[in-house]
Amino acid sequence: MAELTYIEGYPEYMRKEIEKVAKTRDKRLDYTPPAMTMKQRDEVLRVHPDYAPGGKREISVGPNKGQNAPNEVADLLEAYPLVEKGEVDLSQIDYNPDILIIGGGLAGTSAALWAHDSGVAKENILLTNKLRHGDANSIMAEGGTQAADREVDSIVKHYIDTIGGGHFTNKPDVTRALVEDAPLIMKWLCELGAIFDREENGDLAEKLAGGLSVKRMHSCRDYTGLEEFRVLRDEFRTRGISYLEHYPAIELLTEGNRVTGAILWNIETGDYKIVKAKATIIATGGYGRLHIRGFPTTNHYGATFDGVVLAYRAGAKLRDIDAVQYHPTGAAYPIQIVGYLLTEKLRGSGAQPVNADGEAFVYPLEPRDVEAASIIRECYVRDKGITTPTGLRGVWLDTPLIEIKNGKGYIEKAFPGMIRMYKRYDIDIRKDPVLVFPTLHYQNGGVETDPSGRTNIEGLWVAGEVSGGVHGKNRLMGNSTLDCLVFGRRAGMSTADYVKSYSGEISVTIDHLNQYVQQLEEAGIKRTRRAPIILPDYRGKAALARMIDVF
Amino acid sequence: MVDNKSPIMERIAEANKAATTGIDATDIKNWIEIYIMGKAYKVPADLTILTAMEYAGYKFVRGVGCRQGFCGACATVFRKKGDYKLQTGMACQTRAEDGMYLVQIPFTPAEKADYDITKEPYEASVFIKYYPEVTRCVSCNTCTKACPQDLEVMDYVQDAIRGDFNALADISFDCIQCGLCAMRCPAEIVQYHVAQLGRRMFGRYGQGVPDHLRKRVKEINEGKFNQEMARITTCAIDELRKIYTEREKEPE
Amino acid sequence: MTTTKPETTKTTATGNSKIPYYPGCTLKTTAKNFENSALAAARALGIELLEIPRWNCCGTVFSLADDDLIHHVASVRNFIRVQEMNDYGLVKNENRLVTLCAMCFNTLKSTNLRMKNNAEDLSKINDLMYREEDYQGKVEVIHFLEVLKALGFEKIHDRVKKPLKDLKVAPYYGCMILRPQEVGIDDPEDPTIQRDLLESLGADAVDTPYKRVCCGSYQTVKDKDIVAELAYDILTHAQKEGAEALATVCPLCAFNLDHRQKEVKAKHPDFTEIPVFYVTQLMAIAFGLDGECYGFDQNYVDPRPLLRKKSLIEQQQES
Repeated sequence: MAELTYIEGYPEYMRKEIEKVAKTRDKRLDYTPPAMTMKQRDEVLRVHPDYAPGGKREISVGPNKGQNAPNEVADLLEAYPLVEKGEVDLSQIDYNPDILIIGGGLAGTSAALWAHDSGVAKENILLTNKLRHGDANSIMAEGGTQAADREVDSIVKHYIDTIGGGHFTNKPDVTRALVEDAPLIMKWLCELGAIFDREENGDLAEKLAGGLSVKRMHSCRDYTGLEEFRVLRDEFRTRGISYLEHYPAIELLTEGNRVTGAILWNIETGDYKIVKAKATIIATGGYGRLHIRGFPTTNHYGATFDGVVLAYRAGAKLRDIDAVQYHPTGAAYPIQIVGYLLTEKLRGSGAQPVNADGEAFVYPLEPRDVEAASIIRECYVRDKGITTPTGLRGVWLDTPLIEIKNGKGYIEKAFPGMIRMYKRYDIDIRKDPVLVFPTLHYQNGGVETDPSGRTNIEGLWVAGEVSGGVHGKNRLMGNSTLDCLVFGRRAGMSTADYVKSYSGEISVTIDHLNQYVQQLEEAGIKRTRRAPIILPDYRGKAALARMIDVF
Repeated sequence: MVDNKSPIMERIAEANKAATTGIDATDIKNWIEIYIMGKAYKVPADLTILTAMEYAGYKFVRGVGCRQGFCGACATVFRKKGDYKLQTGMACQTRAEDGMYLVQIPFTPAEKADYDITKEPYEASVFIKYYPEVTRCVSCNTCTKACPQDLEVMDYVQDAIRGDFNALADISFDCIQCGLCAMRCPAEIVQYHVAQLGRRMFGRYGQGVPDHLRKRVKEINEGKFNQEMARITTCAIDELRKIYTEREKEPE
Repeated sequence: MTTTKPETTKTTATGNSKIPYYPGCTLKTTAKNFENSALAAARALGIELLEIPRWNCCGTVFSLADDDLIHHVASVRNFIRVQEMNDYGLVKNENRLVTLCAMCFNTLKSTNLRMKNNAEDLSKINDLMYREEDYQGKVEVIHFLEVLKALGFEKIHDRVKKPLKDLKVAPYYGCMILRPQEVGIDDPEDPTIQRDLLESLGADAVDTPYKRVCCGSYQTVKDKDIVAELAYDILTHAQKEGAEALATVCPLCAFNLDHRQKEVKAKHPDFTEIPVFYVTQLMAIAFGLDGECYGFDQNYVDPRPLLRKKSLIEQQQES
């Protein structure tokens, strides 16, 4: 193949495709394709990776035995533990906090703050992180946080939008908690000093997003999660609450049917620490790095499903674990940023998905699964996608429309992160559209809880993406950061109450792992896989092929 | 063999292979040579510093985080072929180039002050109190040059000194707290922590809680929506579906 | 880059002169009363002090060491901003940089002289700041008092609506606008510029031999006692000459003479407090400007009782 000539970031042939988009732009300015009917939605969803055949199987062990899950998820639920009977010394307790929090994103960090606010001393809380405190999907949330705080809005509308987006599969009590606490969470963030986009009169600036009936999306430019998180982390550090970094939890510890702590593993030196705790909160996030169905992901390096694996072995019930969220607009070009998130706020601000013929082919703010399936259909069924030099297909997201609709300078102000990301590859999103394709984004389901974040296992709470129920089978934009903050808070307060009233002695064992191994063996599962996987592996195949394990 | 007749999902997985599994040398046409901490490695041409190092065989447990330019974990110092300048960037956001020398910075041992923003006056004195070294700024602009986000770091340090919280918040907002500014600063200022304090002060005192938010929280506490919520959370799915489909939408 | 090119502003129809204005950090914090009163007084005289975009710290203290060029970078960067104001059309052929703060004035002007007189130093600094345009050495650092003098004290007198009749004010100069001689704006032994200004406002200027004695400067951070003793001498000598107040253009002098009266009083119980004005506050009063710009809340010794006594402000005048 001849060397490609690049003009402002795009190869010549893609430039010709871009001309088609520019040509129809004026026409599309006043035209938005209509939203789909329920029937049309059902039809397009057939090409969604969740519904396309071949991606799922029944889980063969544990509390959700017999239910469907993506193969990659079932693989990990059916994997053998990293430690088994006799392999760890549980007689020496290294940390003995009242509350152990596993995972320091928005959920874990707010759990710590609220537990502290509820009277648990800072040294009786221990927050442990796989990597650094804050290396989490939370900080990558670009678009916003929902909260029904405008006069025209109500928490009931927020509830209905959320349930409808979730295809009416959400767990009502937790979804109610989500929408009811949202304004309170926004107030808390403002008081802590988080800087949200504002109207000129000082009101919070709010936008529409996919599946919303009212403008309810609060954002901090396109760094919403980052801003929210760094404020919480600053407050956390300032209060001096205990934390560990580069110490992932590799197993829970139990006593009978209750969780009593965890085994942490020093990711650099390889030695382990035993934590005994009266209450444990798992806030480990999701599973994007499992690359379900071979999709790239928007997720953090450590998003490897560890929390669910650990909780499941201890007997926690899961729900909606079959539903995977693919974000409709991941970057499809250039190769270096494939799968990276292009926030829904871009579409909320006027950018349209456009096919190879320059046509707007879908209502830009369908729920995420519908929007994603429409893009897949355009590329692989109707053959109206654009192919990149490395063979990926995508459709255009016509970003220049944003400034035509909102005025010059708007993109720079509202999407500095996006501008920066593309500028590094010589692409100016104000002038040219960008190529997009769905990317693995979110774990819709997870560990089932009550409205306080408590699981069916005594001593175990979960919060954030690791949980299931609040979003049903499909999460709306702006409900994930909210989920973390609401249920982090609730879990923090609930565990605080719990540990204050708990006076009995507890011990730590790994009996639950022994039982789980037995179940795996009974189910005839071979010892080929171990979990949690902690981190994905992207090392080059050539390097791996010649590696010798010496130390 | 995956071709145009294969199921859609297989074709998608095949096209995305480079981003989801380790790279197979047989898929690569163009190569470059880079020097990781001085050692030469041949790596594919279209990679970031991060993915190039992974291709070379490094499995990261430090100096890596979100991999998409938000977390600030993968600060890197590098030098381009034929250039004397030491440059800085994020490994996940910087293209690997032929002849590049590079090293990652795994950690920034910078001190963050402890403060309770609810007890501090909304004045420049807050910076002098917690980060008195800001006044040592000689305006050399080294911090700005080091910033992988292209922020005007020196300008916001100056805003801190004069107590312009609004300008500081605006200029520093896109900070990912990688710490490169602090590591390069000859005046030993910890710019990114200074900015964090300033932004929180601006958020709390410069912006505050708007009335409409305060009002809504009060309404919820007073139970304004309780009845309606009780009804909606218990009604049958078919009715919910109807409510959902027929709900009014606010125009853009 | 997050910076955008500033919008071009037109010279107003009345022909107001626009001069690049360098505030410095103190005028944005503890000496807002100085800035507010000065900007208002200048406006009343048809002078627009246009704040330099992206100005940075002046360098605080002029470094006297030969090999300490890095401490002059800050000053030079501000000169480049003035060049940019011309480039962007914010001002037209205007190379003056005017300051209010005497410390900033001294630091900026000293550095500017060094750059003008030493081509090698200038080129080293320009090289170090390779991302900026080169400093051409054309900026002229002046103090606001010089602008007033150039305008003419008769013109200022013409603008007075409420003469400061019977108000006995001792002008205090300190060091920064007088020394060294090549930087100073007046006779270092017998300065008169503030006296002339005060008289044009209708005040009685009281002469005191301590008008150019150091206030103690930054010793105020390390050893309050030194400053308290100096302030005691300066203030009581002014009082002996009949002064009811002092006037200054230096925020550090103002701090040492005004705020340190607390320490003075503690050491010398017989001491009677005396207000210390920024001379621009007196201009604002004499010009009959809106009281909002006076900023007396930031003065330690409240000058309002004195001003009321002289019927220069309303009985209930706030701030």
